[in-house]
Amino acid sequence: MNKKLNYSYYPGCSLHASASEYDLSTRELFKTLNIGLTEVPDWFCCGATPAHNVDELLSLSLCAKNLELADKVEGDLAVACAACFSRLKFTQHTLEENMTKRKQVEKAIDAPLKLDGKVKHLLDILARDLGLERLAAAVKKPLSGLKVACYYGCLLTRPPDVPNLDCAEAPTIMEQVVEAAGAETVAWTHRLECCGANFTLSRPGVVIQLTNAILESAKDAGADCIMVGCPLCHGNLDIRQKEIEGVYKADYNLPVFYLTQLVGLSVGLGADKLGLDAMIVNPLPLLKEKGLL
Amino acid sequence: MKKKKMIISQETMDIDFVRKVEALADTSVRRCFQCGKCSAGCPMATFMEHPPNRVVRLLQLGQWRRVLEGRSIWYCASCETCSTRCPNKVHLASIMDALRKLSWDAHGPSKEGYVQLANKLFLQNIRTYGRQYEMRLAAVFNVKSGQFLKDLMLGPKLIAKGKLKMFHSKNKNLPEIEKIFTRIAEIRAKGEAL
Repeated sequence: MNKKLNYSYYPGCSLHASASEYDLSTRELFKTLNIGLTEVPDWFCCGATPAHNVDELLSLSLCAKNLELADKVEGDLAVACAACFSRLKFTQHTLEENMTKRKQVEKAIDAPLKLDGKVKHLLDILARDLGLERLAAAVKKPLSGLKVACYYGCLLTRPPDVPNLDCAEAPTIMEQVVEAAGAETVAWTHRLECCGANFTLSRPGVVIQLTNAILESAKDAGADCIMVGCPLCHGNLDIRQKEIEGVYKADYNLPVFYLTQLVGLSVGLGADKLGLDAMIVNPLPLLKEKGLL
Repeated sequence: MKKKKMIISQETMDIDFVRKVEALADTSVRRCFQCGKCSAGCPMATFMEHPPNRVVRLLQLGQWRRVLEGRSIWYCASCETCSTRCPNKVHLASIMDALRKLSWDAHGPSKEGYVQLANKLFLQNIRTYGRQYEMRLAAVFNVKSGQFLKDLMLGPKLIAKGKLKMFHSKNKNLPEIEKIFTRIAEIRAKGEAL
Protein backbone atom coordinates (compact mmCIF):
# COMPACT_ATOMS: atom_id res chain seq x y z
CA MET A 1 0.00 0.00 0.00
CA ASN A 2 1.38 3.37 -0.97
CA LYS A 3 1.67 6.14 1.59
CA LYS A 4 -0.86 8.96 1.24
CA LEU A 5 0.52 11.94 -0.64
CA ASN A 6 0.25 15.29 1.12
CA TYR A 7 1.04 18.73 -0.23
CA SER A 8 0.98 22.33 0.81
CA TYR A 9 -0.90 24.35 -1.80
CA TYR A 10 -0.20 27.75 -3.37
CA PRO A 11 -3.17 28.55 -5.63
CA GLY A 12 -2.05 32.01 -6.76
CA CYS A 13 -4.21 35.10 -7.23
CA SER A 14 -5.96 34.03 -10.43
CA LEU A 15 -7.28 30.83 -8.86
CA HIS A 16 -9.16 32.89 -6.32
CA ALA A 17 -10.74 35.02 -9.02
CA SER A 18 -10.77 34.58 -12.80
CA ALA A 19 -9.60 30.96 -12.65
CA SER A 20 -11.85 29.78 -9.81
CA GLU A 21 -12.76 26.68 -11.83
CA TYR A 22 -9.08 25.66 -11.86
CA ASP A 23 -9.02 25.91 -8.05
CA LEU A 24 -12.31 24.02 -7.64
CA SER A 25 -11.37 21.22 -10.05
CA THR A 26 -7.91 20.87 -8.49
CA ARG A 27 -9.35 20.43 -4.99
CA GLU A 28 -12.01 17.99 -6.18
CA LEU A 29 -9.60 15.96 -8.30
CA PHE A 30 -7.06 15.67 -5.49
CA LYS A 31 -9.79 14.66 -3.04
CA THR A 32 -10.93 11.92 -5.42
CA LEU A 33 -7.36 10.72 -5.92
CA ASN A 34 -6.87 10.77 -2.13
CA ILE A 35 -4.07 13.34 -2.29
CA GLY A 36 -3.93 15.78 0.63
CA LEU A 37 -3.86 19.51 -0.14
CA THR A 38 -3.45 22.19 2.55
CA GLU A 39 -3.56 25.81 1.40
CA VAL A 40 -0.69 27.95 2.70
CA PRO A 41 -2.36 30.42 5.12
CA ASP A 42 -2.29 34.03 3.98
CA TRP A 43 -0.01 33.44 1.03
CA PHE A 44 0.38 36.54 -1.12
CA CYS A 45 1.06 37.46 -4.73
CA CYS A 46 4.34 36.14 -6.16
CA GLY A 47 4.74 39.34 -8.18
CA ALA A 48 4.30 37.44 -11.45
CA THR A 49 5.68 39.05 -14.59
CA PRO A 50 5.23 42.75 -13.65
CA ALA A 51 7.46 42.46 -10.56
CA HIS A 52 10.46 40.83 -12.22
CA ASN A 53 9.95 43.04 -15.26
CA VAL A 54 10.85 46.18 -13.35
CA ASP A 55 12.27 45.09 -10.00
CA GLU A 56 13.88 41.69 -9.71
CA LEU A 57 14.78 42.15 -6.05
CA LEU A 58 11.13 42.70 -5.20
CA SER A 59 10.12 39.64 -7.22
CA LEU A 60 12.72 37.44 -5.51
CA SER A 61 11.79 38.76 -2.06
CA LEU A 62 8.05 38.22 -2.49
CA CYS A 63 8.67 34.66 -3.67
CA ALA A 64 11.22 33.96 -0.93
CA LYS A 65 8.74 35.08 1.73
CA ASN A 66 6.02 32.89 0.22
CA LEU A 67 8.43 29.93 0.22
CA GLU A 68 9.05 30.58 3.90
CA LEU A 69 5.29 30.59 4.60
CA ALA A 70 4.90 27.37 2.61
CA ASP A 71 7.70 25.76 4.59
CA LYS A 72 5.51 25.89 7.70
CA VAL A 73 2.93 23.63 6.07
CA GLU A 74 3.67 19.93 5.71
CA GLY A 75 4.53 18.47 2.32
CA ASP A 76 6.07 19.63 -0.94
CA LEU A 77 4.51 22.77 -2.39
CA ALA A 78 1.87 22.14 -5.06
CA VAL A 79 1.45 25.05 -7.47
CA ALA A 80 -1.32 25.28 -10.04
CA CYS A 81 -0.49 28.47 -11.91
CA ALA A 82 2.36 28.22 -14.43
CA ALA A 83 3.47 31.80 -13.71
CA CYS A 84 3.66 31.34 -9.92
CA PHE A 85 5.39 28.01 -10.50
CA SER A 86 7.97 29.65 -12.76
CA ARG A 87 8.65 32.54 -10.35
CA LEU A 88 8.98 30.33 -7.28
CA LYS A 89 11.35 27.96 -9.09
CA PHE A 90 13.32 30.84 -10.56
CA THR A 91 13.71 32.33 -7.07
CA GLN A 92 15.04 29.06 -5.64
CA HIS A 93 17.41 28.68 -8.57
CA THR A 94 18.71 32.27 -8.49
CA LEU A 95 19.19 32.46 -4.74
CA GLU A 96 21.06 29.18 -4.65
CA GLU A 97 23.46 30.33 -7.37
CA ASN A 98 23.91 34.05 -6.79
CA MET A 99 25.21 34.98 -3.34
CA THR A 100 24.99 38.76 -3.94
CA LYS A 101 21.27 38.53 -4.67
CA ARG A 102 20.79 36.06 -1.85
CA LYS A 103 22.21 38.49 0.71
CA GLN A 104 19.99 41.30 -0.56
CA VAL A 105 16.87 39.15 -0.37
CA GLU A 106 17.78 38.01 3.17
CA LYS A 107 17.93 41.68 4.15
CA ALA A 108 14.66 42.47 2.40
CA ILE A 109 12.63 39.71 4.05
CA ASP A 110 14.61 39.90 7.30
CA ALA A 111 14.38 36.14 7.80
CA PRO A 112 16.48 33.12 6.96
CA LEU A 113 15.78 31.72 3.50
CA LYS A 114 13.97 28.42 3.11
CA LEU A 115 14.97 27.20 -0.30
CA ASP A 116 15.10 23.44 0.15
CA GLY A 117 11.38 22.72 -0.12
CA LYS A 118 10.32 21.11 -3.37
CA VAL A 119 8.05 23.20 -5.59
CA LYS A 120 5.92 21.09 -7.90
CA HIS A 121 3.44 21.88 -10.61
CA LEU A 122 0.23 19.81 -10.54
CA LEU A 123 1.40 18.03 -13.71
CA ASP A 124 4.50 16.84 -11.89
CA ILE A 125 2.40 15.50 -9.02
CA LEU A 126 -0.01 13.65 -11.30
CA ALA A 127 2.57 12.23 -13.70
CA ARG A 128 5.42 11.42 -11.32
CA ASP A 129 4.43 11.44 -7.63
CA LEU A 130 1.12 9.70 -8.14
CA GLY A 131 2.37 8.13 -11.36
CA LEU A 132 0.69 7.52 -14.69
CA GLU A 133 -0.19 3.94 -13.82
CA ARG A 134 -2.07 4.86 -10.68
CA LEU A 135 -3.69 7.76 -12.49
CA ALA A 136 -4.86 5.44 -15.27
CA ALA A 137 -6.15 2.99 -12.66
CA ALA A 138 -8.31 5.73 -11.13
CA VAL A 139 -9.98 6.50 -14.46
CA LYS A 140 -13.66 5.53 -14.48
CA LYS A 141 -14.82 7.31 -17.63
CA PRO A 142 -11.98 7.32 -20.20
CA LEU A 143 -12.04 10.41 -22.43
CA SER A 144 -12.31 8.19 -25.51
CA GLY A 145 -12.49 9.95 -28.82
CA LEU A 146 -11.68 13.39 -27.40
CA LYS A 147 -8.89 15.01 -29.40
CA VAL A 148 -6.92 17.32 -27.14
CA ALA A 149 -4.35 19.95 -28.11
CA CYS A 150 -2.03 20.27 -25.10
CA TYR A 151 -0.86 23.87 -24.76
CA TYR A 152 2.22 24.44 -22.61
CA GLY A 153 2.77 28.12 -23.25
CA CYS A 154 5.98 29.65 -21.95
CA LEU A 155 6.48 29.23 -18.28
CA LEU A 156 5.95 25.54 -17.58
CA THR A 157 9.17 24.46 -19.25
CA ARG A 158 11.38 27.48 -19.88
CA PRO A 159 14.18 28.38 -19.34
CA PRO A 160 15.72 24.89 -19.63
CA ASP A 161 17.69 24.80 -16.37
CA VAL A 162 15.01 26.22 -14.08
CA PRO A 163 11.58 24.58 -13.81
CA ASN A 164 12.89 21.08 -14.54
CA LEU A 165 9.38 19.92 -15.30
CA ASP A 166 10.14 18.51 -18.73
CA CYS A 167 12.23 19.17 -21.85
CA ALA A 168 12.07 22.89 -22.69
CA GLU A 169 11.66 22.40 -26.44
CA ALA A 170 9.83 19.07 -26.77
CA PRO A 171 7.91 18.34 -23.58
CA THR A 172 5.41 15.47 -23.37
CA ILE A 173 4.19 15.55 -19.77
CA MET A 174 0.77 17.07 -20.57
CA GLU A 175 0.18 14.56 -23.35
CA GLN A 176 1.15 11.71 -21.02
CA VAL A 177 -1.28 12.85 -18.32
CA VAL A 178 -4.27 13.35 -20.61
CA GLU A 179 -3.56 10.14 -22.51
CA ALA A 180 -3.58 8.31 -19.16
CA ALA A 181 -7.08 9.77 -18.80
CA GLY A 182 -8.00 8.08 -22.08
CA ALA A 183 -7.94 11.05 -24.46
CA GLU A 184 -6.22 11.34 -27.83
CA THR A 185 -3.68 14.10 -28.36
CA VAL A 186 -2.92 15.96 -31.57
CA ALA A 187 0.48 17.02 -32.91
CA TRP A 188 0.43 20.77 -33.54
CA THR A 189 2.81 23.62 -34.15
CA HIS A 190 1.95 26.25 -31.52
CA ARG A 191 1.96 24.35 -28.25
CA LEU A 192 5.01 26.25 -26.95
CA GLU A 193 4.30 29.65 -28.49
CA CYS A 194 3.55 32.63 -26.27
CA CYS A 195 -0.06 33.88 -26.00
CA GLY A 196 1.03 37.41 -25.00
CA ALA A 197 0.12 36.72 -21.37
CA ASN A 198 0.01 39.87 -19.28
CA PHE A 199 -0.22 42.20 -22.26
CA THR A 200 -3.91 41.35 -22.11
CA LEU A 201 -4.36 44.51 -20.03
CA SER A 202 -2.00 46.96 -21.66
CA ARG A 203 -1.79 45.72 -25.26
CA PRO A 204 -4.82 43.55 -26.08
CA GLY A 205 -4.15 43.92 -29.82
CA VAL A 206 -0.88 42.03 -29.42
CA VAL A 207 -2.59 39.26 -27.45
CA ILE A 208 -5.31 38.88 -30.06
CA GLN A 209 -2.76 38.42 -32.83
CA LEU A 210 -0.64 35.88 -30.95
CA THR A 211 -3.57 33.96 -29.52
CA ASN A 212 -5.26 33.73 -32.91
CA ALA A 213 -2.24 31.89 -34.28
CA ILE A 214 -2.48 29.37 -31.44
CA LEU A 215 -6.21 28.76 -31.93
CA GLU A 216 -5.73 28.44 -35.67
CA SER A 217 -2.96 25.90 -35.26
CA ALA A 218 -5.01 23.79 -32.82
CA LYS A 219 -8.02 23.86 -35.13
CA ASP A 220 -5.93 22.93 -38.18
CA ALA A 221 -4.51 19.95 -36.31
CA GLY A 222 -8.04 18.61 -35.81
CA ALA A 223 -8.30 19.25 -32.07
CA ASP A 224 -11.72 19.28 -30.35
CA CYS A 225 -10.43 21.31 -27.44
CA ILE A 226 -7.33 22.78 -25.82
CA MET A 227 -5.88 21.83 -22.44
CA VAL A 228 -3.83 24.30 -20.38
CA GLY A 229 -2.07 24.51 -17.03
CA CYS A 230 -1.90 28.28 -16.72
CA PRO A 231 -4.68 30.78 -15.89
CA LEU A 232 -3.13 33.49 -18.07
CA CYS A 233 -3.09 31.27 -21.14
CA HIS A 234 -6.65 30.25 -20.27
CA GLY A 235 -7.80 33.85 -20.01
CA ASN A 236 -6.43 34.70 -23.41
CA LEU A 237 -7.57 31.54 -25.21
CA ASP A 238 -11.01 31.27 -23.62
CA ILE A 239 -12.18 34.72 -22.58
CA ARG A 240 -10.86 36.43 -25.72
CA GLN A 241 -11.82 33.66 -28.16
CA LYS A 242 -15.11 35.22 -29.30
CA GLU A 243 -13.40 38.58 -29.86
CA ILE A 244 -10.63 36.89 -31.86
CA GLU A 245 -13.16 35.03 -34.00
CA GLY A 246 -14.74 38.40 -34.77
CA VAL A 247 -11.45 40.10 -35.68
CA TYR A 248 -10.19 37.26 -37.87
CA LYS A 249 -13.58 36.14 -39.24
CA ALA A 250 -12.86 32.64 -37.98
CA ASP A 251 -14.94 29.95 -36.32
CA TYR A 252 -12.88 28.08 -33.75
CA ASN A 253 -15.34 27.12 -31.03
CA LEU A 254 -12.58 25.37 -29.09
CA PRO A 255 -13.36 24.85 -25.40
CA VAL A 256 -10.29 25.52 -23.25
CA PHE A 257 -10.00 23.14 -20.30
CA TYR A 258 -7.68 23.20 -17.34
CA LEU A 259 -5.81 19.91 -17.02
CA THR A 260 -7.61 19.22 -13.72
CA GLN A 261 -10.99 19.58 -15.43
CA LEU A 262 -10.22 16.96 -18.07
CA VAL A 263 -8.54 14.55 -15.68
CA GLY A 264 -11.36 15.20 -13.18
CA LEU A 265 -13.93 14.29 -15.80
CA SER A 266 -12.14 10.99 -16.43
CA VAL A 267 -12.16 10.01 -12.76
CA GLY A 268 -15.92 10.50 -12.68
CA LEU A 269 -16.37 14.04 -11.31
CA GLY A 270 -19.53 15.86 -12.43
CA ALA A 271 -19.81 19.20 -14.22
CA ASP A 272 -20.64 21.03 -10.97
CA LYS A 273 -17.41 19.87 -9.32
CA LEU A 274 -15.28 20.91 -12.28
CA GLY A 275 -16.68 24.41 -12.74
CA LEU A 276 -17.54 23.73 -16.39
CA ASP A 277 -20.20 26.46 -16.21
CA ALA A 278 -17.47 29.07 -15.61
CA MET A 279 -15.93 28.48 -19.04
CA ILE A 280 -16.75 31.15 -21.61
CA VAL A 281 -16.62 28.82 -24.64
CA ASN A 282 -19.33 26.34 -23.67
CA PRO A 283 -17.85 22.81 -23.48
CA LEU A 284 -21.16 20.99 -22.87
CA PRO A 285 -22.16 20.36 -26.53
CA LEU A 286 -18.74 18.81 -27.23
CA LEU A 287 -18.77 16.65 -24.10
CA LYS A 288 -22.31 15.46 -24.79
CA GLU A 289 -21.46 14.66 -28.41
CA LYS A 290 -18.54 12.51 -27.23
CA GLY A 291 -20.73 10.84 -24.61
CA LEU A 292 -18.60 12.14 -21.76
CA LEU A 293 -21.34 13.89 -19.81
CA MET B 1 15.30 55.89 -34.75
CA LYS B 2 16.91 53.67 -37.32
CA LYS B 3 18.00 56.58 -39.46
CA LYS B 4 19.74 58.39 -36.61
CA LYS B 5 23.44 58.39 -37.33
CA MET B 6 25.41 56.13 -35.04
CA ILE B 7 28.87 57.23 -34.02
CA ILE B 8 31.04 54.57 -32.53
CA SER B 9 34.29 55.47 -30.90
CA GLN B 10 36.12 54.59 -27.73
CA GLU B 11 34.24 57.39 -25.98
CA THR B 12 30.83 55.98 -26.87
CA MET B 13 31.57 52.42 -25.81
CA ASP B 14 30.16 52.53 -22.31
CA ILE B 15 31.49 49.38 -20.72
CA ASP B 16 30.23 50.45 -17.28
CA PHE B 17 26.66 50.26 -18.45
CA VAL B 18 27.25 46.80 -19.90
CA ARG B 19 28.77 45.71 -16.59
CA LYS B 20 25.76 47.03 -14.70
CA VAL B 21 23.39 45.10 -16.96
CA GLU B 22 25.51 41.97 -16.61
CA ALA B 23 25.47 42.19 -12.81
CA LEU B 24 21.73 42.74 -12.67
CA ALA B 25 20.93 40.04 -15.20
CA ASP B 26 23.58 37.61 -13.95
CA THR B 27 24.59 36.77 -17.51
CA SER B 28 27.00 37.94 -20.19
CA VAL B 29 26.17 40.61 -22.76
CA ARG B 30 29.58 40.35 -24.38
CA ARG B 31 29.35 36.64 -25.20
CA CYS B 32 26.68 37.15 -27.89
CA PHE B 33 28.01 36.49 -31.43
CA GLN B 34 24.85 37.53 -33.29
CA CYS B 35 23.55 34.18 -34.55
CA GLY B 36 20.01 35.58 -34.35
CA LYS B 37 18.28 32.53 -32.90
CA CYS B 38 16.71 34.73 -30.21
CA SER B 39 15.04 36.99 -32.75
CA ALA B 40 14.03 34.07 -34.96
CA GLY B 41 12.02 32.54 -32.11
CA CYS B 42 10.79 35.75 -30.48
CA PRO B 43 6.98 36.05 -30.69
CA MET B 44 7.19 39.79 -30.09
CA ALA B 45 9.98 40.65 -32.56
CA THR B 46 7.45 41.89 -35.11
CA PHE B 47 6.33 44.57 -32.67
CA MET B 48 9.83 45.77 -31.79
CA GLU B 49 11.95 48.35 -33.60
CA HIS B 50 15.08 46.55 -32.42
CA PRO B 51 14.67 42.75 -32.38
CA PRO B 52 16.38 40.97 -29.45
CA ASN B 53 19.71 40.24 -31.15
CA ARG B 54 20.03 43.88 -32.15
CA VAL B 55 19.30 45.00 -28.59
CA VAL B 56 22.33 43.01 -27.47
CA ARG B 57 24.48 44.34 -30.31
CA LEU B 58 23.53 47.92 -29.47
CA LEU B 59 24.51 47.30 -25.86
CA GLN B 60 27.84 45.86 -26.95
CA LEU B 61 28.42 49.00 -29.00
CA GLY B 62 27.57 51.29 -26.10
CA GLN B 63 24.34 52.49 -27.68
CA TRP B 64 22.17 51.78 -24.67
CA ARG B 65 20.29 55.09 -24.88
CA ARG B 66 18.75 53.95 -28.16
CA VAL B 67 17.55 50.80 -26.46
CA LEU B 68 16.08 52.51 -23.39
CA GLU B 69 14.36 55.14 -25.53
CA GLY B 70 12.71 52.58 -27.76
CA ARG B 71 9.75 50.32 -27.23
CA SER B 72 11.51 46.96 -27.65
CA ILE B 73 12.13 46.30 -23.96
CA TRP B 74 8.50 47.04 -23.12
CA TYR B 75 7.26 44.67 -25.80
CA CYS B 76 9.19 41.69 -24.48
CA ALA B 77 6.67 39.20 -23.07
CA SER B 78 9.21 37.38 -20.86
CA CYS B 79 8.40 34.09 -22.59
CA GLU B 80 12.06 33.00 -22.25
CA THR B 81 12.29 31.51 -25.74
CA CYS B 82 15.44 33.54 -26.44
CA SER B 83 17.18 32.35 -23.27
CA THR B 84 16.20 28.77 -24.05
CA ARG B 85 17.70 28.80 -27.54
CA CYS B 86 20.86 30.85 -27.07
CA PRO B 87 23.90 28.72 -27.93
CA ASN B 88 26.10 30.96 -25.77
CA LYS B 89 23.88 30.89 -22.69
CA VAL B 90 23.21 34.60 -22.87
CA HIS B 91 20.11 34.92 -20.70
CA LEU B 92 18.41 37.52 -22.85
CA ALA B 93 15.12 37.49 -20.93
CA SER B 94 17.07 38.54 -17.82
CA ILE B 95 18.88 41.24 -19.80
CA MET B 96 15.45 42.60 -20.80
CA ASP B 97 14.46 42.62 -17.10
CA ALA B 98 17.64 44.51 -16.21
CA LEU B 99 17.07 47.07 -18.97
CA ARG B 100 13.48 47.63 -17.90
CA LYS B 101 14.61 48.13 -14.33
CA LEU B 102 17.26 50.67 -15.36
CA SER B 103 14.72 52.49 -17.52
CA TRP B 104 12.11 52.30 -14.73
CA ASP B 105 14.52 53.71 -12.12
CA ALA B 106 15.35 56.60 -14.42
CA HIS B 107 11.60 57.19 -14.90
CA GLY B 108 12.29 55.79 -18.32
CA PRO B 109 12.27 57.81 -21.47
CA SER B 110 10.20 55.09 -23.14
CA LYS B 111 6.90 55.96 -24.78
CA GLU B 112 5.30 52.70 -23.71
CA GLY B 113 3.17 54.27 -21.00
CA TYR B 114 0.41 51.65 -21.01
CA VAL B 115 2.72 48.76 -20.23
CA GLN B 116 4.41 50.76 -17.49
CA LEU B 117 1.05 51.83 -16.05
CA ALA B 118 -0.13 48.21 -15.95
CA ASN B 119 3.05 47.15 -14.16
CA LYS B 120 2.78 49.99 -11.68
CA LEU B 121 -0.85 49.24 -10.80
CA PHE B 122 -0.02 45.55 -10.43
CA LEU B 123 2.71 46.31 -7.91
CA GLN B 124 0.50 48.80 -6.05
CA ASN B 125 -2.15 46.08 -5.70
CA ILE B 126 0.37 43.77 -4.05
CA ARG B 127 1.36 46.46 -1.58
CA THR B 128 -2.22 47.45 -0.75
CA TYR B 129 -4.09 44.13 -0.85
CA GLY B 130 -1.43 41.42 -0.87
CA ARG B 131 -3.01 39.79 -3.89
CA GLN B 132 -4.23 40.71 -7.35
CA TYR B 133 -7.87 41.45 -7.94
CA GLU B 134 -8.29 41.49 -11.67
CA MET B 135 -11.47 43.55 -11.67
CA ARG B 136 -9.88 46.37 -9.69
CA LEU B 137 -6.73 46.16 -11.79
CA ALA B 138 -8.66 46.37 -15.07
CA ALA B 139 -11.02 49.10 -13.87
CA VAL B 140 -8.26 51.34 -12.52
CA PHE B 141 -6.17 50.71 -15.63
CA ASN B 142 -9.02 51.82 -17.90
CA VAL B 143 -9.65 54.97 -15.86
CA LYS B 144 -5.98 55.95 -15.63
CA SER B 145 -5.28 55.23 -19.27
CA GLY B 146 -8.43 57.06 -20.37
CA GLN B 147 -9.80 54.00 -22.19
CA PHE B 148 -13.10 53.83 -20.37
CA LEU B 149 -14.72 51.52 -22.88
CA LYS B 150 -11.88 49.02 -23.28
CA ASP B 151 -13.11 45.43 -22.85
CA LEU B 152 -16.38 46.81 -21.51
CA MET B 153 -18.30 43.95 -23.08
CA LEU B 154 -16.22 41.36 -21.23
CA GLY B 155 -17.09 42.70 -17.75
CA PRO B 156 -20.71 41.55 -17.28
CA LYS B 157 -19.93 38.15 -18.83
CA LEU B 158 -17.04 37.59 -16.42
CA ILE B 159 -19.07 38.68 -13.40
CA ALA B 160 -21.90 36.33 -14.42
CA LYS B 161 -19.40 33.48 -14.63
CA GLY B 162 -18.06 34.30 -11.17
CA LYS B 163 -14.68 35.20 -12.62
CA LEU B 164 -14.41 38.68 -11.19
CA LYS B 165 -14.66 38.96 -7.46
CA MET B 166 -16.30 42.11 -6.16
CA PHE B 167 -15.09 41.67 -2.58
CA HIS B 168 -11.95 40.27 -1.10
CA SER B 169 -10.61 39.13 2.23
CA LYS B 170 -7.90 40.87 4.20
CA ASN B 171 -4.47 39.27 4.08
CA LYS B 172 -2.85 38.81 7.48
CA ASN B 173 0.59 39.25 5.99
CA LEU B 174 -0.02 42.80 4.76
CA PRO B 175 2.31 44.38 7.37
CA GLU B 176 5.00 41.89 6.33
CA ILE B 177 4.54 42.81 2.66
CA GLU B 178 4.76 46.50 3.50
CA LYS B 179 8.02 45.82 5.35
CA ILE B 180 9.48 44.08 2.29
CA PHE B 181 8.71 47.12 0.15
CA THR B 182 10.18 49.57 2.70
CA ARG B 183 13.26 47.46 3.40
CA ILE B 184 14.00 47.24 -0.33
CA ALA B 185 13.67 51.02 -0.59
CA GLU B 186 16.08 51.40 2.36
CA ILE B 187 18.63 48.97 0.93
CA ARG B 188 18.47 50.86 -2.36
CA ALA B 189 18.82 54.25 -0.68
CA LYS B 190 21.98 53.01 1.02
CA GLY B 191 23.27 51.84 -2.34
CA GLU B 192 23.52 48.24 -1.13
CA ALA B 193 21.28 46.75 -3.80
CA LEU B 194 21.62 46.41 -7.51
